[in-house]
Amino acid sequence: MLPADCSRRLVAELRDALDACAERQRQLERSLRVSRRLLRTWEPAETPAPQPTPAPETSGEAPSPESTPSPQDLKELELLTQALEKAVRVRKGISKTGERHKALSLKSGSAAPSATTASAPSQASGQASCRVSETKPPRGIQQTVVPARGLPECRLLSVRDRTRVGRGSRAIKPGPGPRDQQIPPSAALQAPEAFTLKEKGILLRLPMAYRKAASRNSRLWAQLSSTQTSDSVDAAATAKTQFLQKMQMTSGGPGSGLSAAAVEAEVGLLQTACSLLRRRMEEVLSADPADCMQEYRCLLTLEGLQAITEQCLHRLQELRAAVVGQQLGPWPVGRRPGASLPCGGGTDPIWSPQLLLYSSTQELQTLEALRLRVAMLDQQIHLEKVLMAELLPLVGTQGPHWLALCRAVHSLLCEGGERFLTVLRDEPAD
Amino acid sequence: MGRRRRRVDRGAAVGALPEAIAALSRTLPAGPSPEIFRRAKFDRPEAAPALWQLLFRVLSPLSANGASAPAAQEAQVRVVKSELHSQGYPRRALAQLPEDGSRGSRELLLALAWLLARGPLLERLLAQTRVRLGDEIPLCECEALARPGPPVPRVEADGPVDIRQLQWLMGKLRFQWRKLITSQQEQCALLGKIHSYTRGCHSDRSLDHLSVAETELLRDAEGGQQMLRRLESENVRLEAALHWRRQELVFWRWMDTVLGTCPPEASQPTFVPRIPERGAGEWELVARELQALREELRGAAEPRRAAWEARVGGWGPEWSAVQRASREAVGLELAALQRAWERGGAAAQPHGPCRLVKSDAGASGGPGLRAAQVIEVLRSREACLEAVLCQLQRQCRQELARLAGALPGLIWILPPGR
Repeated sequence: MLPADCSRRLVAELRDALDACAERQRQLERSLRVSRRLLRTWEPAETPAPQPTPAPETSGEAPSPESTPSPQDLKELELLTQALEKAVRVRKGISKTGERHKALSLKSGSAAPSATTASAPSQASGQASCRVSETKPPRGIQQTVVPARGLPECRLLSVRDRTRVGRGSRAIKPGPGPRDQQIPPSAALQAPEAFTLKEKGILLRLPMAYRKAASRNSRLWAQLSSTQTSDSVDAAATAKTQFLQKMQMTSGGPGSGLSAAAVEAEVGLLQTACSLLRRRMEEVLSADPADCMQEYRCLLTLEGLQAITEQCLHRLQELRAAVVGQQLGPWPVGRRPGASLPCGGGTDPIWSPQLLLYSSTQELQTLEALRLRVAMLDQQIHLEKVLMAELLPLVGTQGPHWLALCRAVHSLLCEGGERFLTVLRDEPAD
Repeated sequence: MGRRRRRVDRGAAVGALPEAIAALSRTLPAGPSPEIFRRAKFDRPEAAPALWQLLFRVLSPLSANGASAPAAQEAQVRVVKSELHSQGYPRRALAQLPEDGSRGSRELLLALAWLLARGPLLERLLAQTRVRLGDEIPLCECEALARPGPPVPRVEADGPVDIRQLQWLMGKLRFQWRKLITSQQEQCALLGKIHSYTRGCHSDRSLDHLSVAETELLRDAEGGQQMLRRLESENVRLEAALHWRRQELVFWRWMDTVLGTCPPEASQPTFVPRIPERGAGEWELVARELQALREELRGAAEPRRAAWEARVGGWGPEWSAVQRASREAVGLELAALQRAWERGGAAAQPHGPCRLVKSDAGASGGPGLRAAQVIEVLRSREACLEAVLCQLQRQCRQELARLAGALPGLIWILPPGR
């Protein structure tokens, strides 16, 4: 059994580590739930979302002024509609599939001369016609625009945007006047065709309100995080410094200038310093000096490192004295100690939008795996240090069950708890 | 919000002050009206509760904000006091304010101004609560560390504990990590799919595909509306922050007058310094490490110095010029090394969460980081950390061997696989 205070400390550390891990797991589970749900078949929406790009439930309306199609658009629209009619016929197995499909894709390709992706229109029309055949056949082609779902068909329609056939989803819906039909929302929900991201994700389109808000958002963030140096900014900065000084002066004492948070931050920096110094020392010791000059430099470096270490230790003592003597209050137990962050972590810069481009799922997986591995190693190193500090002294003092303790400590400290050594009693054979 | 409240006898500057304060309070969470600020200058008690609440929202960690019901007045007051104290708030009058939150509006106003003056408080608050539109991946762990999860009520191990419990906890931890890594891999696969299925759907060309949040917005209209509302209110706050930046000078001038109306500080209260064990433990660890390092360096440097002196003893003066050059060079190197941690490290290194975007490998020269680069950096960091861990384990092994060697008559068979 371990002594009580040692037990308490170690169990607390390990529980901290477990909690941190559990928190990550929780967040990850949340994201997984959302992603899995997105990749399944989408449930039909209860109420179709009110969209700024007009909802098809209001299909009876005439096209709004901004989406009045030009004569050329109408002509292209007519062509496309005919192509879709053909597609329906093809689908119904009236004619040979192969050539017709080709002809169809060619036709829709020509109907949309400015289509960016030739495959998209044919694919879209293919899919649309697919829907047509499965939903209300008697209604004819106009059903290509029948909504299967409240939301997705809005996006379906907007594929036409991409092929530049109609301007705005409304343009297609009513089409040329006589074909105008009302499609009640209830009919929309009857369609059995389900929406899956895999098949129809490419047809999705973000609503206009969101697009505007998002672009405004990123613009504002960019403005906020840009470092401006104008007169007003400088004047404000000076005013702030002066204010702080006055605050300090009126506080009735010189003050140490050290806050508990600052002390904690410095201890963290000294931790980083220690690892950097150690790394440099190992570099020097492992290097083979080729000539006198290099030998001399090695010597100087080692002595210089020694001096810096002394300075760090000295600073650490000062900090300790500050906390105790100047009554800074309880040591803040905030962030997890022991992390030697490459970015310092102290100054938090203003967030600004940044992109990280990846090219394949494998790459992303590698990236994430490495990131987790680095975090895990950080934690392991911290635990290793804590365990060393607590357990090695116990092994030094021989108590009862010393062998068992020794073996357990060896496994914890030297093998990460994964392997055990064997101890044999060396009995002289006689 | 008092924009047009202009006093006839003063100049236009007075009108600018309520405007600036209005912008400030629009940016802050739970920002009080400019009237509260005005009353606080005269230390009116009715302004105090709003300011306590504001400071509580600003100072308490994010997790507490989103969590349960708002804390009681006393709890809020205590949190504000202790947090300000730990950040080094210089005025002692704050600590003497009553805990029922009925007084002290002027002091609170000063505290708020102090926080604003010290650093980018507004930007930090906005960043903490921002709407995440993309799939984000943090580049370094500082955000995870700075935002601890909700405090788990934990039953501390009271009595002595068997070492097997420690082994069990370690094993559990290892298992948790494995589970975490597998879940993460699954999430990446799902993300990859979602990104490729929604290729070309985004209006922003540089993004090209939708993120999970955006796809979710399309799937769930209700949730989408909520997100849109949050986004719009964030935009309002961002604009208010920019407006504030343009006008804050007049606020600082006013704060000088507020400070002027305060009576000078009196005596010092006494604090009982308590250093909780864990915090001191951290200090202990660092101290121990530095001491060990110092010993090692001494052990390495002293014999070399002795050997060097022995060799160089008889060498002539032409050597001293070379020596001086070497000293300078080494001095510069070490100074650079010191800067590496003193200035907070490679601040130029990208930092903070990035939005994941799937794009073809050929897209070079555009904005944004490349995953390949980040992978390189992470690999080198991993190698570094593994080296450190190995070295620590080696140290332990040596130490244990030394201790075990004291007991003869035993054979220690190390586990295989080394």
